[in-house]
Amino acid sequence: MSSSAVEPESPDLVCQLDNVQGVVDALTSVRWKRQQDAVLELSEHGIVLIVEETACLQAKVYLQRELFVRYEYSAEGRPRFGVSLGLFVDCLNTFSVQGHSSAIELRYPGPDMQLLLKSVESSDSCTYAEIRTRIPDTISWDYNFEPAGSSPLSFTVKKQLLGFRTVVSYFDKFVSDPGHLQKLSTNPRVVLRSSGFLPIFSLKFVQKGGKGKERGFEEEESCIRCLPLESAALKEAIDDLEWPGSSIHLILQPTPPSVTFRGEGHGDLQIDFMCQANTDLLVAFHCDREVSHRYKYKFLRATTSNIPSSVIRDNRGSKLTIGRGGMLKVQHLVSVAKPAIPHPHVDSASYQQPSRIAYIEFFVKPEVDEDDANDT
Amino acid sequence: MGKICHLYLTRDHVYFLHNLLNGDGIQCIAQFRKEALFDEYRLSSQNDDRISFAIDLSLLHRALHSIISIYTEFSAGDSGVPGGNSAPNHIQIKLVKKLPPHSQQPMPFLTFETKGYKSAVIQDVPISKPLSRSDVLELQAALDMAQDLPQTLIQVPHMHQLQNFVEKMKNVGDVLNVSISKYGDLHLQVSTSLITLGAEFRKLSVIGDQAQSPTDDQNLSAQSRTRIALQRGDAMTVQVSVKHFFKSLQCHAAKPDCAFYGITQQGACLTVVFQFFIPGTHQTDKAISLHCRLPVLDPGAS
Repeated sequence: MSSSAVEPESPDLVCQLDNVQGVVDALTSVRWKRQQDAVLELSEHGIVLIVEETACLQAKVYLQRELFVRYEYSAEGRPRFGVSLGLFVDCLNTFSVQGHSSAIELRYPGPDMQLLLKSVESSDSCTYAEIRTRIPDTISWDYNFEPAGSSPLSFTVKKQLLGFRTVVSYFDKFVSDPGHLQKLSTNPRVVLRSSGFLPIFSLKFVQKGGKGKERGFEEEESCIRCLPLESAALKEAIDDLEWPGSSIHLILQPTPPSVTFRGEGHGDLQIDFMCQANTDLLVAFHCDREVSHRYKYKFLRATTSNIPSSVIRDNRGSKLTIGRGGMLKVQHLVSVAKPAIPHPHVDSASYQQPSRIAYIEFFVKPEVDEDDANDT
Repeated sequence: MGKICHLYLTRDHVYFLHNLLNGDGIQCIAQFRKEALFDEYRLSSQNDDRISFAIDLSLLHRALHSIISIYTEFSAGDSGVPGGNSAPNHIQIKLVKKLPPHSQQPMPFLTFETKGYKSAVIQDVPISKPLSRSDVLELQAALDMAQDLPQTLIQVPHMHQLQNFVEKMKNVGDVLNVSISKYGDLHLQVSTSLITLGAEFRKLSVIGDQAQSPTDDQNLSAQSRTRIALQRGDAMTVQVSVKHFFKSLQCHAAKPDCAFYGITQQGACLTVVFQFFIPGTHQTDKAISLHCRLPVLDPGAS
């Protein structure tokens, strides 16, 4: 609200933001369902927003103080309060359409412990909001992420990884040849694998034998070369894994260095990211032993499916790390740079403001399985 | 606004009327002087030369759209012909009763006849039976009621931006508080138990009753300013449905030159008046008028 309301003499936090859309994008990335409670934690370093799902998935958005044009913090300790994430995002979103500029001020607490927002710029028009806060629930599960062993197990996905959709469209053509299909089966199981130094995909149709017995008949049908394409590979790969659904095996192995996502359900789908020199598949890869864990598909999907397309286009890469006990950490970066006039020779204006990045982290617990703990 | 509307024809005017007879939704009144639409206009009825019927706007729109395309093709084909365009570029619209296929009962239609050189295209748009004498009287009474204008009207800035803003506001709440002051302030606010979200636009142009804004309210919040203006009797406030308000902004699609919002006496409804200029001037085209009336919600109901 506004200046005249009875406000505490010195609020815990008064900050100003000049790119609301960037923050809306960052928060939208962790909005995996309609009704979601979020906890906001304020500190001298910035604002952290935390959301959680059934003690299996947690996401954090770090809005560090460098993202704000003004950041006045005067609380002792770290104030925490709960808000409805959906309402907070919808509310911020109304500020991002206010004409050309969208600078806003955030203030906490208001007279009734509200989170106060108001547009700052024009004198003849003003937008304001008061969001009711609540006492946060205790975080039900401690997501302390610890490295698994002395050396890290991680990989970073960058753009130009692979256009899996393209492969699938080749695959569609392949499958649409009915004569071909009839030779195989009316209901073939399909395995897609990539191999080699470049993402070369081989398609394998695995026909199930009659009476529910697998005959183990494999027929190498075709080999399709696919050039690396610009795409948000991780998101696409995870989207594609929806087909088999249920739980997904994530396997990292050092020789040959590769990352494999394998889904088994209605059909089998395996996606291999091969990491070799001279390819842009993975920007970084650290793995000294084979690890394999299973994650629920819906949680894996939540880590990528809500990232706005503008952020995907910006493509700052995503880093996945497996920690102790198979806890998966997925990190994304979202630009919160002040919108600049697009320049044809500059890839993204935000590269000039490296500090203006919002960090997003997801923590996914693995599915408990007796065969699973083979990284110890 | 809605699919079905009443077309009401009188000696001098043609009206498109939305929701005038069943008063719970947003009412919309588009009025055309007969000369604005027709070269020739003949009307006769036993009810003081007034006829009204319900018509499906999507069918009417389709018929008009196809006529436009026929004429576009016609004039394009005609342009190369020496001797010029002899075929008149007009449509004849008639109210008729016809026997539809597979039916024994004649049905009323609005018939559009388009003539080319060698062909004629006739399109029949089905309409309701003409309204009874008492219904027409009721419609006329509702129309007369709907003509009273608020004492203060303020001009809405940047319709398109406001439309974007209200569209996003729809996600936050259902009920919109609209306050309009004689100083030219428009204050919109959605308030629920979890959130209050508002926008204030100041120093807008005012038509009708206006007043000088107090000099000491500059540093006040939008809410305080509105509260004081209400106490002074310089402002009025009503609650309307956010969806209705958004719909009223969609009339922007009719490309009006400006739009004014006002609250009628006793806060009976929120009115938006769209103004159309005579092309190339800044004078109001009095042959065309369009306004909407948004029903006010019972504050207890929200």
